[in-house]
This record gives sequence, C-alpha cells and structure tokens, in this order.
Amino acid sequence: MPNVLVIAEARAGQLRKVALEAMTAGRALASEAGGEVHALVAGPPGTAGLAPQLGAHGADVVLVAEHAALENYNGEALTALIAERTRTGGYRVVIFSASVHGRELAPRVAARLRAAYASDVITVALEGGSLVARHPVNTGKLTATLTTSASPAVVSLRPGMFEASAHAAAGRVERIEPVGDPSASRVRVTATQQGSSAKLDLSEAPIIVSGGRGMKAAENFRIVEDLANALGRAAVGCTRAVSDDGWRPHSDQIGQTGRVVSPDLYIALGISGAVQHIAGMRTARTIVAVNKDREAPIFKFADYGIVGDVLEVVPALTAAVKEARKGH
Amino acid sequence: MKIAVCIKRVIDMEMRFRVAGDGASIDETGAKYDINDFDMYAIEAALQLRDKAGGGEVAIVSLGPVQAQEQIRKALSMGADRAVHLAADRIPSDGLAIAEALAAELRDGAYDLILFGKMSIDSSGQSVGPMVAELLELPLVAAVSKLDVQGDRGTAGRVLEGASETIEFPLPAVLTIDEGLNTPRLPNLKGIMAAKKKPLETRPARLGEQRVRTTSIELPADRPPGRIIGEGVAAIPELIRLLQTEAKVL
Amino acid sequence: MPRGRALPIVPAKHQPELPIDRLILRDAPDPDAVPMDVIFVGGGPAGLAGAIELAKLIKRDNDAGGTLGEIQIGVLEKASSLGEHSLSGAVVNPTAFRALFPDVPLAELPFRSPVDKESVYLLTGKRAIPLPTPPTMRNHGTHIASICEIVRWLGERADELGVNIFTGFPADALLVDGDAVRGVRTTPSGLDRTGAPGSGYAPPTDITARVTVLTEGTRGTLSQAYLQWQKIGSENPQLFALGVKEIWETKRPLDRIVHTLGWPLPTNAFGGSFMYPLETNVVALGLVVGLDYHEARLDVHELLQRMKEHPFFRKLLQGGEMVEWGAKTIPEGGFYALPSRRHGNGVMIAGDSAGFVEVASLKGIHYAMHSGILAARTIFDALKRGDTSAASLKAYDRAVDKSYIASDLHARRNMRLAFHRSGFFVGGFKAALMTLTRGVFPGGRIDVEPDASVQRNMDAVPGFKPDGMLTFAKLDAVFKSGNATRDTIPSHLIVGEDVPAEVAEFYTHLCPAGVYERDGDKLIVSPPNCIDCKATDVVGPRWTPREGGSGPRYRRM
Repeated sequence: MPNVLVIAEARAGQLRKVALEAMTAGRALASEAGGEVHALVAGPPGTAGLAPQLGAHGADVVLVAEHAALENYNGEALTALIAERTRTGGYRVVIFSASVHGRELAPRVAARLRAAYASDVITVALEGGSLVARHPVNTGKLTATLTTSASPAVVSLRPGMFEASAHAAAGRVERIEPVGDPSASRVRVTATQQGSSAKLDLSEAPIIVSGGRGMKAAENFRIVEDLANALGRAAVGCTRAVSDDGWRPHSDQIGQTGRVVSPDLYIALGISGAVQHIAGMRTARTIVAVNKDREAPIFKFADYGIVGDVLEVVPALTAAVKEARKGH
Repeated sequence: MKIAVCIKRVIDMEMRFRVAGDGASIDETGAKYDINDFDMYAIEAALQLRDKAGGGEVAIVSLGPVQAQEQIRKALSMGADRAVHLAADRIPSDGLAIAEALAAELRDGAYDLILFGKMSIDSSGQSVGPMVAELLELPLVAAVSKLDVQGDRGTAGRVLEGASETIEFPLPAVLTIDEGLNTPRLPNLKGIMAAKKKPLETRPARLGEQRVRTTSIELPADRPPGRIIGEGVAAIPELIRLLQTEAKVL
Repeated sequence: MPRGRALPIVPAKHQPELPIDRLILRDAPDPDAVPMDVIFVGGGPAGLAGAIELAKLIKRDNDAGGTLGEIQIGVLEKASSLGEHSLSGAVVNPTAFRALFPDVPLAELPFRSPVDKESVYLLTGKRAIPLPTPPTMRNHGTHIASICEIVRWLGERADELGVNIFTGFPADALLVDGDAVRGVRTTPSGLDRTGAPGSGYAPPTDITARVTVLTEGTRGTLSQAYLQWQKIGSENPQLFALGVKEIWETKRPLDRIVHTLGWPLPTNAFGGSFMYPLETNVVALGLVVGLDYHEARLDVHELLQRMKEHPFFRKLLQGGEMVEWGAKTIPEGGFYALPSRRHGNGVMIAGDSAGFVEVASLKGIHYAMHSGILAARTIFDALKRGDTSAASLKAYDRAVDKSYIASDLHARRNMRLAFHRSGFFVGGFKAALMTLTRGVFPGGRIDVEPDASVQRNMDAVPGFKPDGMLTFAKLDAVFKSGNATRDTIPSHLIVGEDVPAEVAEFYTHLCPAGVYERDGDKLIVSPPNCIDCKATDVVGPRWTPREGGSGPRYRRM
C-alpha cells in the first residue's frame, strides 16, 4: 500500500508550523494514492501529547518515540529511528520539512536507505509509478522538476509552500522504541537558545520592511522598525541610497550590490524602485509598496501599491497590523 | 590536522538563464564559473584550522568536468596543499550518486575533518555533505556558523529558525559550513604562483546509481503587472484584507 | 542667474593633477616581491597578444636549444575575470589573429560572424537617409565579435602557453629606480571607507620584472603617469571619445551592420552610432561622441536613450529587452597624438594606452594586438641580449613605425582633427577630401587643444524621462553593467575642491554611470557606481586604481 510517512518536527514541546504543513502535503499525497499517512514525532517523555494535533491534521497513525535523550535535536538517533521505521513500514514516500534540522536529517536518512531524495521541494505528486517534485534552483531563478521511480522516495518540503489545514483522521497512537541508545550519540546538542538573540537576518526573515530615500531622514526609520515589530519575524532593510547616506548600515542594504532576499512579504516604503534595488527583492512572494509618486517604477512590481505619504501611511498601517494580528 | 574540503564549480548566478534545447538543463553558452560561494567558507575554515593546529594538510576534492580544474587551482592558490579532481562530464542531479563517488575517494584518506559548503547555489540540494557523512558513518553537523576545534573534539554553533544551538562532536567528522563563519581570503599573487606547482590528481568519478533525474527546468512565470489598490491611509483596510485573504501572509 | 544663461566653463580649470607621486614609486620593491621576467599590465587584446607571442617565441627558442630557460610572463588584470572590463563595438579586422594563430582555422577564432551587409545612414529627427558607405568605413573581410569573448579566448590560449594570468589585481603604481621601471605594486583590497584596513584586508603586492609592458587600455593611468614623469610628449594632445553601448535581445533579427551619423548629436559634436547583430535576435548598439563637445549638458548616455526613440531604432528594439549596458572612452587623436616614444628603460606602452586606434575606420583591436606582438618580439630579442635598457627596447618604436599601425594611422592623420573645430558638415567635407587624397589634403597637421581645454556652453537642454522599457536611467543602466563594486570601498576618484555648480552639472552629464550628481550647488559623488570608462579622467575628476574586481562585469560587450 502506498503509505506516506511524515516526520513531524517539534521543538520545546510544541509542533512546529512546518510539521503541520508537511502533514497537509502528506495527506494530499496519500489520499490521491489511496494510502495512509503516518506521522512520526520524537521527543522527550510527554511527546505523545502532540498526537491529537497530528491526528487533526490528517495522521491515520501517529508514531511516537519518547526518550530523555531526544529532548534536543539528536540527528544520529533520529536517523536510525526513521530509517528503521521506513524500512519496516514499507513507506512509498517519507516527507521531512526543509528546515535546518530537516535538511540535515533527510539526506542522511535517504543515504542510509539508498533512497531517492528530492530536497526543498515546492510541489510533490505521485504520477504513475513516479514521484515528481519541483525544486527551486539557481537562487530561485529557475525551477527544476525532479523525477524518480525509486521507492522509497524521501523529500523535504520548503516551509511556507503548503498551507496547514485541518483534516480529521484517526490519529491512532503507536509507540515506537528508539533504535540503539539515543544517549550514546556521538553528536550532541548541548544548548538551545530559543528566540534568536541576534536580530533576524535579512536572508532568514519571512517578512522584510524596507525604506528608501522617500523616508526623508534617518530618524524616520523608527516607524519602519515599528511596522516590522508589529508584523513579527520581520527584518528592516533599505536601499543603497539610504545606506550611502549613512541612515542605515550597509549590511541592511538590499539590491544588486547588497543582499538578495526572497521573503514571503516585502514592504517597500518610499522606494522608487531602481532596477538595482529590484534585483535584490524581485523574488519576494508578495510585494507591497507605499510611495507618493504614482509613476514610481516600484508600482510596476508591487502586488499591492498605495499612493501616499509614507510618514502618514506607515503609522496607520502599523496600528492596523497590530489590530489584525491580535491573538497571534 | 588533515582536512578535506569538497568544492563545486558552479555557474555564475548573475547570468541570464536560458533553458537549453533538451528542456532539462541550462544553456551555458558564454557562461562564467566560480567556486560555489558556501564552499569558500569551508576552504577558509580548513585553512584556518590547519594553521591553528600548526600543520597538517588541506586537500581539495572536486567532482565535475575537466574545466573544474580552474576552480581547484583557485582553491590551491588560496592555500590548500593538494587536490583531487574526480572527473565527470556532467554533475548528476542525484546527490547520492555524487556522495558515493566522494565517499569512495575520502574513505581511506584518514581525514580529521571533511568540510562542505552548506549548499551549492546552483542545485541547492544541501544533500551531498550529509550523505557523505552517512556513507562514511561519520558524525555530522550541518549548517555550521560557529566552530571551535580542540584536539579531537569540536564545538559548533548553528542558527535555526527563531533559535540557535550549540553542538559538540568528536573528530573525525563531516561538517557543512554556512556563510558567516569567516571571511574567505582572496588568492594572492604568491598563492597563484605556488598553486601551479601543487599536486592535482585526476581520476574518473565513480558515480553511484542515479535514482533521481532532472526531467525539466523552467524559468519562473513573469510577475503579474503591479496594482495600485488606493491612496493614502484610506487604502489600509483593503491592504490588510488582501494580505490576509489573498496573499495569506498576515 | 537662471540655469540656461550661466557663463561657459573650461573644464581644465577645475581638473586636479594626476597624482604622480602616488603612481610612480621610488621605493625598493618589497623583499617578498613576486619575481616575473616580463609583466603585462592589463589583460586586454594588447597584453594577451603580447604575452602569447612572447611565450611562443621563448618556447620555440628553448626547443631549438636556446639558453633563455624558464621565463616567467605575467599578465595583471584589474577585473575579477578576463574580459569583464573590456568593451568595444566590435567589428574586427582579423589580421593580427592571422599573424598570431596561423594554424587556427577561422571558424575557431572568437568571432561571431563575418560582416556581410553594411549600411550607413544620416539621421534627422524623424528620418534615416541612406548614405553611400564611406571608403574608410567599408568592412569587407572583417568580423563581428564581442571583445569580452575575444579576451577570454586569448586568455585561454595564454594560459595553455604557461603565462601567469593574475585577474583581480590592478596595478597601483610603477616601481622605479632612476629612470628604470622595475615592476609594479598592486592595489590593496579590503579597505574601509576611510581607507583603513577592514575585514578581508589584503595588502599590496610588489611584482618585479625586467620589462613592464603597459597595456592598460584607454586612458591608462600608469601610462599617463609614466609619460608625464618622463616628459614624453606628442605633437597633438590625445583626444578621447566616450562610447555608451547596450546589448539587446530583440524580437526581430538585424541582417547587417549599421552606422548612423547626425541626429541626435548637435552638429558641433563629433560622433555617430553603431548597431551590429551579435547573434540571431541579439544586437549590440552604441553611440560614440568626441569629448571635445561644446555643450556642458551634453549627455552621451541620454543621447543614446533618445536615439533609441527614433523610429529607425525603435522598430527593431521595441518589445525586446536591454540585457547589458556599458561605457568606455576611446583614444581617437590618431597619428599626431602618439607619444613621441612608447618605450623606456624596462618599460613599453602598447595598445589603446599608446593611442593605437584609427577612428575613421573605427578600428583598434588589431592594432592593439599587433603592437603587443611587436613589443613581444622586441622583448624576446632584449632578453636574448640580456639588455632591457631603453636603447635595447627602442627597436619596438621602430617596429611600430614601420608597421601597418603607423601607416594606417598616418593615412588618416587629420581626419578626426578636422572635426575638432569645424563641426559635422564642414568637418565631414574636409574628411572626404582627405580620403580622396589619401591624407595629402590638407597638408601638415591640424592643431588641436586638449579635450579639457574646450570651453563648454551652459545652454539648457530639454529634460528626459526614461520609460524603463526602451530607455533607461543611469542607475538602472549601471545595474545592467553587472557592477560588482563593494559599497564601502574608499573613493578612487580625485575631485577638484570647491567645484562650482555649473561644473558639477557638467560632470553629472559627462559621467554615464551616475557617479556624479548635482544637488543644488553641491556635487555628490557615488564612487561605487563607477564603471571605469575614464571619461571624467579626461576632462574632470581623476580616476585611480582601486580594489581588484571592482567595476563592471561585462559578458558580451
């Protein structure tokens, strides 16, 4: 039976959002192929408490491995556990999240199983006997379609490409034992600092709020930062003109000679949209622009443009975002 | 300290990409190439570790076409000691096929560390380094952005989504290196001269079975033309609505 | 005073001196210097052809039992890889390739296609009037090419011959001892904005050589410094033109090479446009204007943009995409602007740095290569004699003077000069007479003044707003040059103090890359935009070498 195994990533006793995204993708794949979805979640004692949530997102079976040495990420123990379970379970597809941990673990598991591996995919489907997945390559400038007829096939899913959705399923809990002794792993995570202490890096931030010369003065970037804080998980960027004027550090500069970013949301404030800036952010998924010049080139690229004075629009937008995000 | 650094020749990302006639590869006419960006951090890390240890060897290993020797020479001119070129006309899409060839080369090398860049910016797989670790049954830390090695143990740091962690590992080990670990040095003139005389062995790559193939590549669809949704503060409710319901980013 | 009525300016009054003390160093070379026997400063057609010829001569000699042994030949190039700073039309006369690679079949030479059809038009604001092709501009037997591709190909040949090619290393200064050139010092890299070592700092390196060949290309900084230091003059000052070039992917093919004269240039400026098919549906087009123009607000980049709006160009370009942009100066003073000697003790000057360009036929690449070849032959003989003094290297000047370089330039010696004061129509008439008389008319030499001394009127010009599709602002254009300069490098430009607003305005229009902006009465300078065209070095702020790998990254120019 073409069953799908989903590796559900948890951290600090919580399922990560990407785990639910992987569940949704796995559910779709299994339903199409007429198979079951099994979720595997590993962690310290108490991890079984996450099973209902996985069931609610489509897991027919939730495989739970609990061990004190699985408190932190334990790559070696997880590799052994997942590879063994894949082998005995006869899964057609194993789905990981293309998170930092997932991208270490998935290829290692694939290698142990001598399985086909498609990483960081944005779509995945079973077509005839083959697994077909699409994967952005060359810094997102091209998309490659990967095909394999090998079984099992291991994939990792790019975060944010599958919207987690509820799908009631049995979520039958099945406890599984670690393979070998997890506390004997050679590689150990000795400390985890929740919430990155450093400010969110531009290349990592899912949301970037960026200001140009239209912000008029360095001190006006306070309202750019306020909007970023209201959005959460947002970083502040700027144009070259702004960093050249010393309003912001050069490390914040987005563009041809600065950083090239592709966040989910890019908000361009007082940015005219010179090609050299566009080159740094054109792969953003959604682009919002606020500029007082209706003819500004940025509006050719913006999914949502507002013509107006940034100094008026931005504070009001910050307030509206806070209101909209209440309860997050 | 004996360190291997696996590097890849990659195409210049600034070029205008065009899909070749086969529909599954890039038209490389007139293209330029360089060492993969992330591999530069790995080379620099290896050179620093060797020098800190007061000796040893940094060996460059690169799988690719004969032209990859240009990038290998660059790595040697940065200060690596010797190199192995695993000749393959085309670099396969399947990371495991590559990892098997590299593992065969590295297995008996008695390396204390085997370093990779976190990912190659062309195929963006982040798979070969972890796979080599698995095939050689070595400890693995991926995406290392902090590193300290003392004797036969190392401590690494890496950045996760919204967190960071510290990892301890024994040597020998495989590490994949993220940007930010160091500032890669530029080759200097003496290094370029010296590189010409450093040993560079070439042997055919013993590629593994290819389970995954690239069946097509495509350019992304053009962005839809821009849209002005309104003027001034009055447009904000509509923007919030669109961000929530259409773009689904709020 | 209203803008349009300001007094004329003379750029020379505001131009800083070349910093000779920085460019000519009497320091003993660093004990750790990299020892070369011969170093070519600049990896363009002249330097690479010279290095190839020299490597071949030495190999042949060693194979025949000669005693030279291993001779280290180096080529220093400021771009991070070969060809990235090279820009030309280009329609190439293959003569020098034939001489350098007699065994390589034509099909393997780095040319795109032979010139088959050609047309010349006189443009007016609305029309394109076909003209008979002037004899000097006939291109039968020549080939359309990208100089970037030529240079990369020459680099591969040089590498195969064991030449040391050092890309990403600009030469910052000549190392001299008495009147002898002993080598060069490279620029440091990794300096912060204040000029202090930052992260990734790499110190300068000295390279010693028995012969240093300056093949820096147009307006070579060390070449200028050497000529000035040694007080080597020329009968006329060198004149320069600025060319701005774009590469377009078009929806329609172009079936011929095209040159145009006239609009949009004012009649008192010298210049014209070119448009060549590079491959099916890829064309190179550009506009070249002599820097002795008379209007301070003349802007070559902007004129090229306006030119594309002419129906003649628009019908080809519309719906296509501009994929690459660049600019470069061209030495076009010709025969009378050649330095009285192009050699000295341990040094030679070749290619564009020496002014080996023949403007009437728009050719320079084969002269550059041939001068490199002649330099190599002289060096080979000098190495055999063990004497690289000025007396020994003098044979190079004699060889150039006897070659087609000198005879071609001599035949068209006054053609460009005729336009210096005369303007388009009178100048054009004189040039036609010169062609008919093979240079005998007008007899003697037409005297010219340096570009920087030409007075510029402050007449107003109509504003221009690029549309981002067919026409582009300078910053957007610079992006298409691939400019990879680090934003935090110290300024490499030497700007005069207290530049008046009118002069700031002149620089703003002169520089095609948007390095200079007039903001009220102030001049704002953005050095990272610079793409090394050297236009302002001719008539305004001085260009000096900066961190390796800075500047444009041309691919198919």
